[in-house]
Amino acid sequence: MVTRRDIGRMGFAAGFAGLFARPAWAQAAAETAVAAAQQYRGQTINIVWEAGLQSLDPKNFSGPKWKELTGIDVNVVEVPVAEMFTKIMQEYRAGTGAYDALNVIPAWMPDLVNAGALEVLDPYVEKFGFADELQMIAPTYRDNQMMVDGKIYGFPDDGDVFVLYYRKDILGDPALQAAYKEKFGTDLPVPPTTWADFDQLGQFITETMGGKPFGAAFFREPGYGNFMFQERFRVEGGRFFDADTMRATINSDAGVKVFADWVAENKWAPPGVEQWGFVENLAAFLQGETAMTISWPPYGRWAAGYGTDEEVMSWVPKSTIAGKVGYALTPGGHPQLAAGFALSVASSSKNKEAAYLFIQWLNSESVSMERVQLPYALRDPFRTSHFTSPEYLSKWPDAKDYLAALQAGADSGLLDLSLLQTDKYEEVLRQSVSRLWAGEDPKAILDDAASQWDTITDKIGVEEQKAVYASWAAKSGAYPKM
Amino acid sequence: MSGLPFHRRKSTRLAVRYAIAGLLVVIFCFPIYWLFIISFKTPEEIFAFPPVWYPESIQFDNYKVLFKDGDAVSVLNSLILASSSTLIAMVLGTIAAYSLVRFKTGGENLAVWIISQRMMPPVAIVFPVFLLYVFFGWVDTYFGLILLYTAFALPYVIWMMRGYIEDIPLELEESALVDGCTRWEVLWKVVFPMARSGLFATAVFTFVFSWNEFLFALVLTRTEVMTYTVQVTHYFGGQSNFWAKIAAMSVLGTIPVFIAVATMQRYLVRGISMGAVKG
Amino acid sequence: MQAGLPNPVPIRRCNVKACPSLRGGQAWPKKARMTAALRPDRNFKYWLLAPAIFLLLLVGLFPLIYSLIVSFMRIDMMDVDTSFAGLYNYANLFEDKRLWQSLGHTLLITAIALPLELVLGLAMAYLFLEKMPGRQIFIALLVLPTIISPIVAGATWRLLFDNRYGPINQILGWIWGEPVTALWTINPYLVYPALLICEVWQWTPFMFLILLAALSNVDKSQTEAAELDGAGFFRTFRRIVLPAIWPVMAIAILIRGLDLFRMFDIVWALTKGGPGTMTETISVYAYNQGFKQFETSYTAAIAFLVVFLLTVVVTWAIRRMGLAK
Repeated sequence: MVTRRDIGRMGFAAGFAGLFARPAWAQAAAETAVAAAQQYRGQTINIVWEAGLQSLDPKNFSGPKWKELTGIDVNVVEVPVAEMFTKIMQEYRAGTGAYDALNVIPAWMPDLVNAGALEVLDPYVEKFGFADELQMIAPTYRDNQMMVDGKIYGFPDDGDVFVLYYRKDILGDPALQAAYKEKFGTDLPVPPTTWADFDQLGQFITETMGGKPFGAAFFREPGYGNFMFQERFRVEGGRFFDADTMRATINSDAGVKVFADWVAENKWAPPGVEQWGFVENLAAFLQGETAMTISWPPYGRWAAGYGTDEEVMSWVPKSTIAGKVGYALTPGGHPQLAAGFALSVASSSKNKEAAYLFIQWLNSESVSMERVQLPYALRDPFRTSHFTSPEYLSKWPDAKDYLAALQAGADSGLLDLSLLQTDKYEEVLRQSVSRLWAGEDPKAILDDAASQWDTITDKIGVEEQKAVYASWAAKSGAYPKM
Repeated sequence: MSGLPFHRRKSTRLAVRYAIAGLLVVIFCFPIYWLFIISFKTPEEIFAFPPVWYPESIQFDNYKVLFKDGDAVSVLNSLILASSSTLIAMVLGTIAAYSLVRFKTGGENLAVWIISQRMMPPVAIVFPVFLLYVFFGWVDTYFGLILLYTAFALPYVIWMMRGYIEDIPLELEESALVDGCTRWEVLWKVVFPMARSGLFATAVFTFVFSWNEFLFALVLTRTEVMTYTVQVTHYFGGQSNFWAKIAAMSVLGTIPVFIAVATMQRYLVRGISMGAVKG
Repeated sequence: MQAGLPNPVPIRRCNVKACPSLRGGQAWPKKARMTAALRPDRNFKYWLLAPAIFLLLLVGLFPLIYSLIVSFMRIDMMDVDTSFAGLYNYANLFEDKRLWQSLGHTLLITAIALPLELVLGLAMAYLFLEKMPGRQIFIALLVLPTIISPIVAGATWRLLFDNRYGPINQILGWIWGEPVTALWTINPYLVYPALLICEVWQWTPFMFLILLAALSNVDKSQTEAAELDGAGFFRTFRRIVLPAIWPVMAIAILIRGLDLFRMFDIVWALTKGGPGTMTETISVYAYNQGFKQFETSYTAAIAFLVVFLLTVVVTWAIRRMGLAK
């Protein structure tokens, strides 16, 4: 007779086996890909990748490794990120078949899919048993950056998310904390969790320390400001559109507040911060000139000095703050999953299966684990296993806080706006940001932006855009659960 | 000479000229200087406040890296493309200009049509050119780009040389003809030498235009033919900025042209009287 | 013909008495002479033109026709509608405020930069006209700004103009006596000066070199004679030098003007057309439309509008400048 104990034991055994079955299963996707790719030995796949630092991954690591395992040549076509979308569309429209695999920013997916440039990946996922490992991608990326209209078009491959970086030593300085308490009556937040706290703290630091350091700086350049606006706007309660009428609502109070707050912040930020891009902000933070900043994950690694000894990283200013950096969710608790990358297959490729196998292999548990740990990597952790990897955790003393912050960000992160012809909408936002820095009135700018958005929507077709917006807004990362 | 008033003395004038020339060089070359020293600066020096005017140490590591990684090849590629297209365009363009000037071939309409090629915003024709090249199989080839750059240079060369050829007096050619020269010999022995300074000035900028061309180099190449302008843009990432490489690459890219301009100076400024040419 | 002293102004009539090849004073009728020389090579003039025209057609004809056809369709990022849409795109051109604003910006920049470059270039050419030791190096150094890729030049000026890490505000601070905060790429009053500085910096050497070549062809004996006769500098310039260099100078103005109209890299690197669309030139606008947003048909229409406008201007300019004699 089968007793409850027996069932219990069986369950225990099954669970135990399951624990071991997991790693074996995880190996499978990479191994399956390698095994299936043997038949394409001797061929070449062309993959489009962001030029510069990003390309070192396929050029120095994954490409040669793949060649070793399967005999397939990987030809990396480096393209500056600003031109990637254009080149992909042009080659597709000309029907050249020059590209086999692609790196695609998820926000572009609706446009590319609509144009027919991306290959549907579901049949391949089924054929090569990748579904399980796909499930193991961190939920926000998995649920939001993989599919269009319910079909898989790309594998999220980069855990881009905004992180709040702050100087533990400055914010933790007892004298400063005492002065803060005296002035405001509350404890100095380490780190600040709301924008009100953040602004108050930032201004306090600049004033008390006389600008050495400044409270905070950001990359205020319009290209980056676009992302930061999208995040803060939603965190303040704003919505991009009225879902029923499809009229833009970026000029709501939330939007105006964001713009007004930004102008106020600039007053205690380093003068000229409005012109700063990624590298200026990085240099300022690493050289100890600012106490807080918000940026993508690489800042965290480089601040700790991880990987910056590599020759290719010699352009990063030496970190003077290693060991002093704290990591946290951005104020408001819902950071933007800004940009990011997904791996796709071009629909006009002549080697679709070979291209697919390469991206499956790249994205698999085992291989992606190695890739995100490359010292020169710009690929950030995006699989649940990455956040808990013992190897990663041992990279530098505070790595556990770093990974925890990334994981928290991945759980609660907000998606980039992604509609038909997203770039047109984002262009309006970029211009609005630049007009803000030029001194125009926030409400006037946003009213104008909203009406421009409406014009664009009308031109594209209200019903079509409404459908795309509805499916985007339904995603878990579209709006924060307030 | 010393009897002349101060401002007319040759030595004073020379001194003044040197002073102004020096000032001009400072103004025009300061940004170049800044770019040049960036190639020696550490990242902390590039983003130092206040700005660093002279780097701690001069080391050529950034240049070595370019050669090691093979990026410097792009300078060679650009050299090949620009030189070839300039050479061909100068020859074909000058003789075409001669035809336009001396024989008024095609009249005003042809001349305007030729210059109208330079009016078209490149952005509008980049895709059809791409289609054309896909059709011929010229994408990502040296031949394709040389062809394109030559075609781009022609309107410029033709129009510039028109002006310089008009400056050549007709009698010289007529007398040469009467002396028994064939038309081609007139071109070669009279026109080209007489227009030397114009040829040089035009060639310099024809080269520079091809050298700096970006849009078509971006669209019409993939991996085989990487020009220096496209290579440099690889260093401007969304999350990275290899300033040292940008600077070092720019310096590398400037040296060949600088040397060419410096050494071919004598063709630019003609101090010789025209009577030296066989009349 | 007097040795060494050609008439700097091209003349159409042949001075029969001056021809050295005349022996014994025989005067051949001009027409007979020219015809005799011309006869065997009647197609010579066409052979000279043929290769150039062939190349231009090869590369230019298809794109032109393609663009023309496309401009009558409705092709954009989302669909490739190849049905004939008539003047739809062209009609939209006239309602596009942003387009006309960008044309205005472009004209503004051209109108300011062109005369500046011309005058500066001419002055510099005069400076280096006479021999001076080391002239070669000076000239080579001064041509450097033009050789640097415009993309890199724009990026360098971005860094130079940076408020914190760039030397320009630092230098201004030294002159002013206290730290200067000037946001060159953002402040509406500073963006145009910044663009113009960068543009004039990069392209004055172009005018400089071209005019130097032209000036050096000017007959020195004439200018020296005028000087001895007591004519001042400007008089000599107006009466003798200017007519001599006019063909080249006019063309340089034309070419530079056309290129200024197509100015892209500097604007893109410094301001990307910002703040807002304040410095958006027609090329930047067309780039956004055609390259980023794939409004293929509309961009083609813009292109033809630009070509049309420029052709009108150029034709008028050629007549005015006497380049089509």
